[in-house]
Amino acid sequence: MSMQGKYIQRFSEEYEDYLKDESRMIGEADSISFPKTEESLRAILFELKNHQSKITVQGARTGITGGAIPKGGHVLNLSRMNKVKGFRYDPKSKNYFLTVQPGVLLSELRQMISDKDFDTEDWSKESLATLKRFRKDQEYFFPPDPTEASASIGGMVSNNASGARTFRYGPTRNYIEGLRIFLADGDSFLLRRGENKANGRTFVIQTDQGRILSGEIPSYAMPDVKNASGYYAKKNMDLVDLFIGSEGTLGIITEVEIKLIPKPAFFCGMTVFAPNEDIALHFICRIRECAFRPAAIEYFNADALVLLKEQKRKNAAFSTLLEMPFDSREAVYVEYHGEEEEVIQGILQAGEIFVSCGGNEADTWLALNSQGMEQLHFFRHAVPEAVNLTIDERRRKEAGLTKLGTDMAVPDAMLEDVMHLYRTTLRETGVESVIFGHIGNNHVHVNILPRNMEDYIKGKALYGKWAEAVLKMGGTVSAEHGIGKMKISLLKKMIGEKGIEEMKGIKRTFDPEWRLNIGNLFEIE
Amino acid sequence: MDIIVCVKQVPDTQEVKIDPRTNTIVREGVSSVLNPFDAYAVEEALRIRDRFGGKVIAISMGIQKASKMLKEILALGVDDAVLLSDRVFAGADTLATAYTLALGIQKIGKYDLILCGKQAIDGDTAQVGPSLAEKLNIPHITYASKIEKLESRWIRVRRLVDDGYEIVEASLPAVITVEKGLNVPRLPSLKTFKAAQKKGVKIWNHQDILADPSCTGLNGSPTQVIKTFVPQYGKSVEILEGTMTQQVEKLFHKLSEEGFLFE
Repeated sequence: MSMQGKYIQRFSEEYEDYLKDESRMIGEADSISFPKTEESLRAILFELKNHQSKITVQGARTGITGGAIPKGGHVLNLSRMNKVKGFRYDPKSKNYFLTVQPGVLLSELRQMISDKDFDTEDWSKESLATLKRFRKDQEYFFPPDPTEASASIGGMVSNNASGARTFRYGPTRNYIEGLRIFLADGDSFLLRRGENKANGRTFVIQTDQGRILSGEIPSYAMPDVKNASGYYAKKNMDLVDLFIGSEGTLGIITEVEIKLIPKPAFFCGMTVFAPNEDIALHFICRIRECAFRPAAIEYFNADALVLLKEQKRKNAAFSTLLEMPFDSREAVYVEYHGEEEEVIQGILQAGEIFVSCGGNEADTWLALNSQGMEQLHFFRHAVPEAVNLTIDERRRKEAGLTKLGTDMAVPDAMLEDVMHLYRTTLRETGVESVIFGHIGNNHVHVNILPRNMEDYIKGKALYGKWAEAVLKMGGTVSAEHGIGKMKISLLKKMIGEKGIEEMKGIKRTFDPEWRLNIGNLFEIE
Repeated sequence: MDIIVCVKQVPDTQEVKIDPRTNTIVREGVSSVLNPFDAYAVEEALRIRDRFGGKVIAISMGIQKASKMLKEILALGVDDAVLLSDRVFAGADTLATAYTLALGIQKIGKYDLILCGKQAIDGDTAQVGPSLAEKLNIPHITYASKIEKLESRWIRVRRLVDDGYEIVEASLPAVITVEKGLNVPRLPSLKTFKAAQKKGVKIWNHQDILADPSCTGLNGSPTQVIKTFVPQYGKSVEILEGTMTQQVEKLFHKLSEEGFLFE
């Protein structure tokens, strides 16, 4: 069925990009729209309801599990709902709160906050007064930092994005104070943290149009680790949390209120190069116990460093990577935020711990200013880039190959066990791989780099084996990328048939016609 | 091989503030960084020292606060740092700067090689390096993109020119000004950082280097800056709406109107 109207365009070749996201899946669609306001969104939704059209909500399409890939029907692209709507200050918590539309990009938001410069068209008097205050106040920031800064705020909320600094600041969820939601039928409501809570496991929400929606919070226990797998579910939970990480399956986010917190005066980073994995892991386990907690702890295994050295040699884009110490095997990156003196003390203490674990002070990189930090971040971000380049190269010979990247996390006590599991099973199988990522949260990305289809099949089998083991350890199958369309079977492994059925119950409450973001979280029936 | 590296602290901002009275750059209250070209000079000096032995000394002329930048350079493993700082040095043009640096370098005494960034990103003159060489009466090679060979008495450098590169040799001591991309500047290690904590930056005034105040700072600067400004470009953005085909047609029309399309 194909529609066309004031806001809705028939899907044609020129919109081809909107069938894809960073997962490299390719979807299909019949129509597309780019609403700029809630009024146009509502008109679009009414039209779509008349046609009973399925709807896939898109932000900046930076997700890597296919959450924004349409499975037929309509593509509702929110990238043009990209205004900052208002600003308020809470004197009690000393935090600022910005209300933004979902299409605002993280990179844009960061720029606006650091420049203290916003497009204030249509702002209320209160918002303008807050801005005046904000300009005189100290620096503030929005802590969530997924690696991809071109992500949209709506997308970040939909999958509860995290990043390296989640170790200290927690995921996006912790900085979301309110959400305005549109249901597929055009009904809307506002949720504010603290004001809409479940009563035990039951909840009730009234829409602006007066409809009462009620349901049951799932009974599964969420793992006590960084997690982005399935609906958030806890007794007496805040209903804002139900929508954060729901991957667009329940409602369409039209406004997000985000929290800004005071920006630390000083940032400092250090990469240490360890002669072996034991020293690296020992160092990690000890620094995360320190009273002055790092903001981030990132890991690079020996294979990741070899890949970077290789890319630096043959690819101009990587030629400005720093020269690694001659016999470096594994690397760990730590970042500290705070007052200058405590940060320097923190780094020196980390250095002492590194030496006591068997490391060498000379095999370290210290970033004490913004240029240095940029260089260390470039080094960190170069790993997934190098992986993608390698895979692209191999795909030219074998089109069916893709990267197999894990996103699993385990509890603190299981870190050494899980790393041992990865190492031994990878060695047994003989597939090429790199391991890197947010090891502070026991959350590393194992990226299998298949050379051929045989490797690919072996890799897939390993992936399944790891998921089972990680779940036994009390971990999660997805800590930050989300389930999307690619990890549904893993989610089922994690929360079981019953858990999936309970999630479906929630879905039915908000989207009884089962039209929103079909194929995310649940199999298409 | 003893090497002196000349470094400059520059404002860490795209749009610098200008003092309307003197028409020079306001340095107070603006966060500062090491001039990016100088970072390559420092790195090259350290690499040469690591290979041949000797000492690397960094020298800068600037306000007292520039000692923080010099401390950061010490943390990279530079052996010594000297800051030429005096009220009478303020407002110097390239001539007065070269005069002052030359006296500072003569006070340091022994050196085989002087490395500078090709220019500072604030003034963009690229004159201090060559001017310094003239004051010291030694040869200079500008825009070095690679040091091809280094012997105890001479140096062979690849230098960038508009239509390619030249290979030039000079006897030592010499001043070499370096291009971006000559190397990848290192970061401090914990080891060099801790060693630097024990070192201080030497601060010398005009008396220390026996400078004639009439030749330094604003007094010693024949250059008169009449006006400094950020060029204004008449930028405007227009968003073409419609379907892809309509947009392409509109764009085609616009481009031919502006004379960008030829038959």
